[in-house]
This record gives sequence, C-alpha cells and structure tokens, in this order.
Amino acid sequence: MATLADSFLADLDELSDNEDDHFEEDADAENMDEDIDAGMADIEALNYDDLDNVSKLQKTQRYIDIIQKVEDALKKGTDTSYQGTILENDPEYQLIVDCNALSVDIENEIVIIHNFIRDKYRLKFPELESLVHHPIDYARVVKKIGNEMDLTLVDLEGLLPSAIIMVVSVTASTTSGKPLPDDVLQKTAEACDRALDLDSAKKKVLDFVESRMGYIAPNLSAIVGSAVAAKLMGTAGGLSALAKIPACNVQLLGNKKRNLAGFSTATSQFRVGYLEQTEIFQSTPPALRMRACRLLAAKSTLAARVDSTRGDPSGSTGRALREEIRKKIEKWQEPPPAKQPKPLPVPDSEPKKKRGGRRLRKMKERYAITDMRKLANRMQFGVPEESSLGDGLGEGYGMLGQAGSNKLRVSRVQSKLSAKVAKKFKEKAFGSSGATSGLTSSLAFTPVQGIELTNPQAHAHQLGSGTQSTYFSEIGTFSKIKRT
Amino acid sequence: MSCVLKTLTTKKEIDTVIRDTIDKVVVLRFGRATDSVCLQLDDILAKSAREISKFGAVALVDIDAEDIQVYVKYFDITLIPSTVFFFNAHHMKMDSGTADHTKWVGAFHRKQDFIDVVEAIFRGAMKGKLIVNCPLPPERIPKYQLLYKDV
Repeated sequence: MATLADSFLADLDELSDNEDDHFEEDADAENMDEDIDAGMADIEALNYDDLDNVSKLQKTQRYIDIIQKVEDALKKGTDTSYQGTILENDPEYQLIVDCNALSVDIENEIVIIHNFIRDKYRLKFPELESLVHHPIDYARVVKKIGNEMDLTLVDLEGLLPSAIIMVVSVTASTTSGKPLPDDVLQKTAEACDRALDLDSAKKKVLDFVESRMGYIAPNLSAIVGSAVAAKLMGTAGGLSALAKIPACNVQLLGNKKRNLAGFSTATSQFRVGYLEQTEIFQSTPPALRMRACRLLAAKSTLAARVDSTRGDPSGSTGRALREEIRKKIEKWQEPPPAKQPKPLPVPDSEPKKKRGGRRLRKMKERYAITDMRKLANRMQFGVPEESSLGDGLGEGYGMLGQAGSNKLRVSRVQSKLSAKVAKKFKEKAFGSSGATSGLTSSLAFTPVQGIELTNPQAHAHQLGSGTQSTYFSEIGTFSKIKRT
Repeated sequence: MSCVLKTLTTKKEIDTVIRDTIDKVVVLRFGRATDSVCLQLDDILAKSAREISKFGAVALVDIDAEDIQVYVKYFDITLIPSTVFFFNAHHMKMDSGTADHTKWVGAFHRKQDFIDVVEAIFRGAMKGKLIVNCPLPPERIPKYQLLYKDV
C-alpha cells in the first residue's frame, strides 16, 4: 500500500498545473478524467500548492465504485443473499475484501492530506501541529479557526477536550504566525473538507464490513469483535487464507514495526498486532497481557478455521471459545492458595545427615584420645600400676612410667593439632631457648630397677630417626646446638 | 471447646480413637469447657494439633457426660484438666516429678512445652518403653496436691 509512492509516480506523468476540480463522491458516480501528460515532469516541478497533486484517491474509479456499492448495501440493510455458496464466489465477500484494502488506502491518504494542511497552515499557526496530533481533529480545528487571529472569537467546544482548548487559546495569543493569503486559505479549507470526507467514508466502509462480519465469520467475530476480525481478514487476504495461517502468525498480523532508532524499546509492547485492539486484550491487566494474547490468537485461529469451512453458522462455537478464554484469564488472576503451617516431622524418622571429609577429621582430632591416655588406660599383666595418691588410691597410671621405658613422660609425637595451637603449646612447654623439654628429669623411679638414669638428650634425637623428616616438624628442635 | 479439636462424648468414640490411631500418640484431654485452665490448655492443644499431626492426635473429652464416668473412675480423674496419653492402645505414663505418673494435670506454660512432652512420649514409645521421663524443667510443670480419700 505505497500510495504515497504511487502519488509521486503519478505526479511524474503530468504537468504541474491542474485546476482544482469540484467533485462529489456521494451517490452520483462521476468519472473524473485524469490529465495524463505524455511528457516528463520533474519532481522539482511538483507544485505543492495543489491538493490534487498529492491526494489522488478520491478521484480513482476504484474508490468511487466501492463507495457506491457500500452505500447501496448499507441502504439495503442486512440481506441474506448468499445461500450456501462457496464463500469466495459470493459477490458481497469480494466487496468486503475490497473494502478492507480500501480502508487502508484511505488511512494513508488522510495522512498525506494532513501533511498538506499542516504545511500550509504553518505560516498562520505553527504551534497547532504539536498541540493537536490527530489528523482529523487537526483538520476540524483548522477549518473552524480559518484566518481568525483572535481565538476568543472562535468556539472550539466539542472539537477538542477543554484542557487542550485552553492551551490552544493561550498559544494562539502569542503565536508568531501571520494571516494567510486568500487563495492559500481556500486551498487549506478544501483540503480540510476532503480529509473529513475521507474520514466519514472510511467509517462507512468499516461499518459495512463490520455488519457483514457477522455473516462471513460469526465465530471469529464472537471472539475478537467484528472490527478486528475484518482487519485480520483484510490483512490475511481472505477467510480461507486466514484459516491457513498458524496461530503464532495470527498474533502478529498488523504488527507495527517500530524500530525507532535511538529511542528506548523498554516501553514498547512486543508481538501484538490487531489483537491488541480487542476488548479482551484491553481488559486484562498488563502483567497477563502476553499470555492473554497468545491464548486469543490460538482460539481465534480455531474460530477462523471453523468459519472458513462454515462449520457453525450460528456462532455458538465462537461464543463458547470466548467464554473459555474469559474463564482462563480469570483463573490466572486468582490469588495463590493460603499457606498452611507445615506439621513437624516425626521424631527420629529422618536419619541424621552425617558429614565427613578432611575438615571434620581435623576437628575430631582435637578430641581424639592421645597416646598418653592410651598408655594410661592399659596395664601390663602381672605388674601393678602406680596411682596418683599411691597405694591403689587415686587415678591409675597404667603403663605410663613403667619400667623399661626411659621416660616418665611420654614424648609428644608430631601432633595433628593446628600449627597455631602447636606453636602456642611449644612456646609454653619448651620456652624460647633450650633444646630440651624443661619437664624431663634425669631420674626415673621404677620399682624393679630402682633409680633409672634417663638421658635427657635421648628423645631429642628421636625425631631424627626413621622416616620422619624434621624439616617440616612443628615441634622439631635444632639438631645440633653448640653449647657455649 | 475448640472448634478445631474433636470432642468425644461416648465411650465408644473414645474406644475407637484409642484403638484406631496407629503409631501416633493419642492425647486425650479430660475437662470442662467452662473452666479457665481448661480453656488455656485447649488453646495450646488447638494451636499445636496441626504441628504434631504427623506423630500425634488430639481429642477432647467432656467429663460431664454420663458415658464418660467409667473412664473418669478408671483413670481416677479428680483435678481438671487432666491429659492422658496413649500409644498404640497402650497407656503411656510420664514421670514429671509429681505424685501421679499416669496423667498430666493442669495446663502447659507454652506450646513448645506441650510439643516437647508429646515428642518425649513418642520417642519412649517407639523404643518400647511404657513410662518416660518428662523433658521439662520443674518450674514449667504445674504443681498440684493430690487429694486422698481420707485426708
């Protein structure tokens, strides 16, 4: 639908000066001849002054014919002309397809005319175009104001919301525009008229299509509404074509591709086409809209398929589907069920989760039984143990300090305590100087051999024996110390 | 009476409850709805009924009903409220430092106390004991004087 391009191309074929013809587009079908000049025309020679150069639609035969038919059909009211014929052959169906295309064309045309009016009126009131955006409203306001400089004499009630009227009046009092010359004013007024006529024609066409929608596709219009159904059908290119489209694509029919370079896409709603205008979609809360759209597309595709095969002329399938959709959306909006406190688990029913690993082992070593305690727990056979209070009273010493061992105290093997604790212990026990433990005594009293002399240096070398390396030992002492 | 807990009025109902609850502690509260201590106890029972529902079942018995007098005599219920515990149709006793081990007399100070007591009974019962020790410290156990016949 590149009507704009078409109009530019058409301009190439004709001379710039064309008179403004007076025309009507209602019931009288007037054929306007287009002056087609064989000669080339420069684009620069495009005379922007003339409305006809940019707006051609209303003169085309196609437009006039269709409008004519629509008028007739609307006058005839609802008619049951089609009697079970194949949908495509029905002349009314063809008319509807044409109407769809025409409505899109009309929309484009209105945009073109709006640009035209705006350019012309810019000399008079430049700020108006930023205050009033809608093309039809703009045309109405321009027509009302005309060439008037003082806006208090102009009554804009009913054309615009009162807040905007106020803003417009204030802006008009300080505007930098000048009154227009007469011919420009007249052209602008005619352009406004034309825009308003096109708008009313479009309304007529849409009304007609909507009224017929109930016949063509009752189920589809029961779900999405006749206007949207008509648009969908128009874009798809027919009811059977619409039925062939998968639901995911139906969702995107009429999608406006707005790739506003540089503008944020955070607020733009994705992936909704004409379905955005349906009543169901508008009434769902924004959070659920995407899901609702998908649901709508799916069900409306089903309805379109039913319609294309004329499976249910009464439209009850459509109504049932609509009810289903409504119920589903309501269900989504339900609050979740209230949480009830959980009952306690049965005692001792769940086995305790035992942990393992290096960390646990290291922790357990701190409370493990030391060798000293092990020795104290055991006794030698036939050898009475010593006790702390003597004579069997007090705590028994077991094999600690028994004969045959050189020491009263068991030397500590390389403990697995953490280095920090070991260092602390080492400092306390050994002191800062000296290679030997300060607690060892040279004498050991044993019951069998009497006094035993211990070699205090004996266990100092213990660490050097065997496979134990003294390099990384935590309590390792110096292996050779010079006595001074 | 709490609306959440079942109230038993006939001997048959009590029998069914005790017999049919398997592997769960049955808590039977003997008392009246008009007594304030009873109400306190009922409140705690009602709140914790759901929490112990996996290993305990709670029911209330009205001692004013005629059918129930048999049980009142059997358990020797003189002070209300009295709570009796059962597990798999066995009567569970608990030593809480008071004179009477067969029942619990009075209300509980806290909901957690009650849950602790039920858990102790459950553990003991699962091990096969018929009398368990009370896990509560003595200050949380309501004290009472037993009346003897010839005092």
